[in-house]
Amino acid sequence: MSFLELEDVQTYYGESHVLQGVTLDVEEQEIVALIGRNGVGKTTTLRSILQLTPPREGTIRYKGEEIGGKDTHEVSNDGIGWVPEERRMFGYLTVEENIRVAVKPDDDFEAQREYVYSLFPALDEFSEKEARNLSGGQQQMLAIARGMVGQNELLLVDEPSEGLAPMIVDQVVDALETASEDTTMVLVEQNFPLAMELADRFYLIDHGTVVESGSTEGVTADDERIRRYLSA
Amino acid sequence: MSSSDEHWIRSYGRDQFPHVLVVLGFALYPILLGVLNRTPVASEASAFLPGLTFMIIVLYMGLFAISFDFISGYTGYLSFGHAAFYGTGAYFVVLAANGQVPGVPEGMPFMITMFLGATLAFVVALAIGAVSFRLTGVYFAMLTLGFAQVMYEFIRHWGYVSSNPTEGATIPSGADMSIGVPFVDSLNFAVGRLSGDSFENVLGLGIDISATMTSYYALGIVVLLSYFVMQRIIHSPFGKVMIAIRENEERARAVGYNVFWYKMGAFATSAFFAAIAGALFAAYAGGASPDNSFYFLVTADALIMAIIGGIGTLAGPLFGALFHEWFEDILSTESDGLSTYLEQLLPESVLTAEVAGLTINDFIGTFLDGRAPLYLGIIFVLFVLFVPNGLLGSIRDRLGGTVSKRIPAALERYRR
Repeated sequence: MSFLELEDVQTYYGESHVLQGVTLDVEEQEIVALIGRNGVGKTTTLRSILQLTPPREGTIRYKGEEIGGKDTHEVSNDGIGWVPEERRMFGYLTVEENIRVAVKPDDDFEAQREYVYSLFPALDEFSEKEARNLSGGQQQMLAIARGMVGQNELLLVDEPSEGLAPMIVDQVVDALETASEDTTMVLVEQNFPLAMELADRFYLIDHGTVVESGSTEGVTADDERIRRYLSA
Repeated sequence: MSSSDEHWIRSYGRDQFPHVLVVLGFALYPILLGVLNRTPVASEASAFLPGLTFMIIVLYMGLFAISFDFISGYTGYLSFGHAAFYGTGAYFVVLAANGQVPGVPEGMPFMITMFLGATLAFVVALAIGAVSFRLTGVYFAMLTLGFAQVMYEFIRHWGYVSSNPTEGATIPSGADMSIGVPFVDSLNFAVGRLSGDSFENVLGLGIDISATMTSYYALGIVVLLSYFVMQRIIHSPFGKVMIAIRENEERARAVGYNVFWYKMGAFATSAFFAAIAGALFAAYAGGASPDNSFYFLVTADALIMAIIGGIGTLAGPLFGALFHEWFEDILSTESDGLSTYLEQLLPESVLTAEVAGLTINDFIGTFLDGRAPLYLGIIFVLFVLFVPNGLLGSIRDRLGGTVSKRIPAALERYRR
């Protein structure tokens, strides 16, 4: 039994059939990258797991339990965190309030806060600042931090490097590597070398299904089976 | 910001400094008006400052607009049917005063019937919310508006209310509409446009308190308490989740919040306080009619006040209400507005002078007298276009935080 298993997941946006049977599995403590061109269904896969866009068919098992049909907040409370694309802060809340909101009511907020600030000391400096006034890199740090404080065991990370300067990307990579020590991670990433560097395994998605998969060991963008799907 | 060795009363007082100023301003205003009336600028004062009767409207409409902002400004769900709750509160106390509410004996103190009416509105909001929160955005707004219109039509034709339900119902003369501690006579003050308590020569100081003034202070205390309850909720973890829903509902769900029940809680709470506002209005006005309580234009007034004052600022709508009523006052002749002032100030020859076929007098009558809604509409549009954050919202943006937090810090800087 894998930590997370998707079997023949089919998801629609209205009439548009986006996921046409995605099957994949993730082992505990692994980082798995979902790669592929724009619009092939990578983000939709994450949204399906979170039940934000509930699949119409297929099964999703998390720690052996079927989570299809649950509400998003229940899935979240099962220990699945989300670092959405474009970061999507609660802009009018301060850094600290953003973290506080993400801590589950019966968790120890102080301990969680200390944990986050020890991982990302930069956030401590801006704790009283409203999130909308942070830079892109700082917002990404906060988004990752917020995904981690719920004592989440699985983190779904969507396009963490998007729109960030190379130097900031390095910091984000560090942050993700730190985060991965405590959690399993599914990573959607357009930046192919970055995805290969971070992940243990990859799934290549095209037209709503998995077309290739394997270890990231030694895989480059020149690899024939990759190039076929990634070059436009 | 506050050092730990500082006495908590001091630091609390400093944090609440702007609140204290506003409360003092409202508390001293009637006295200021009274003093000005005995000075040479008496006619200017009554022309350009809102009279006390308008200030009472500021209080209850301000509370209604604050309750509207509580749900609309903080969760982002526009409650276009908010008048339904205002009306529920107003009609409940009127019917209770007439002994027409089953289970509520005639003569039940107003403070208790007000609370019961607000609780009823809370329950009604849960029912409306259970359906309306299935949708978002403009569809939510339209559904709540629809429910309110259904209630408006129903109440207009509900013979139980009075023999002429379209005209509404009145509170019988002699009914005790007192604000204070229930069952303690000395701590109760009757409110009402005509029937309120008045006091002469208070404490032997030669100060007379009129019935209007009694109503003003009594309503003011209820509004103040209601505001503080809502303000505490906004600053509690519950309030932070409300803001999170407004900022990004999907994300709030993914963080693990059952947003449906948070929205329901916020909606019902705002309905509770809308009903308090309605009850205060009915007690003061001595009755309620469908058109001044359940009608959708009552919600529109709250919307205008919230936009002008600053949506999502909680206190802002009170200032929006102040602006709104001040404007209504100076452009009406009800209590010596601008037109009365001009008619007295300008000599007869000027008033009858013709410009393009209109005398100045006609001009005043056409463009000033009672024209507040016209100009308020224009001002509303200008605010939406150029001051989208409203009065208080803009000040907060300028200061970089809430006034309570920023002003003391700024003062501290100057003191050093």
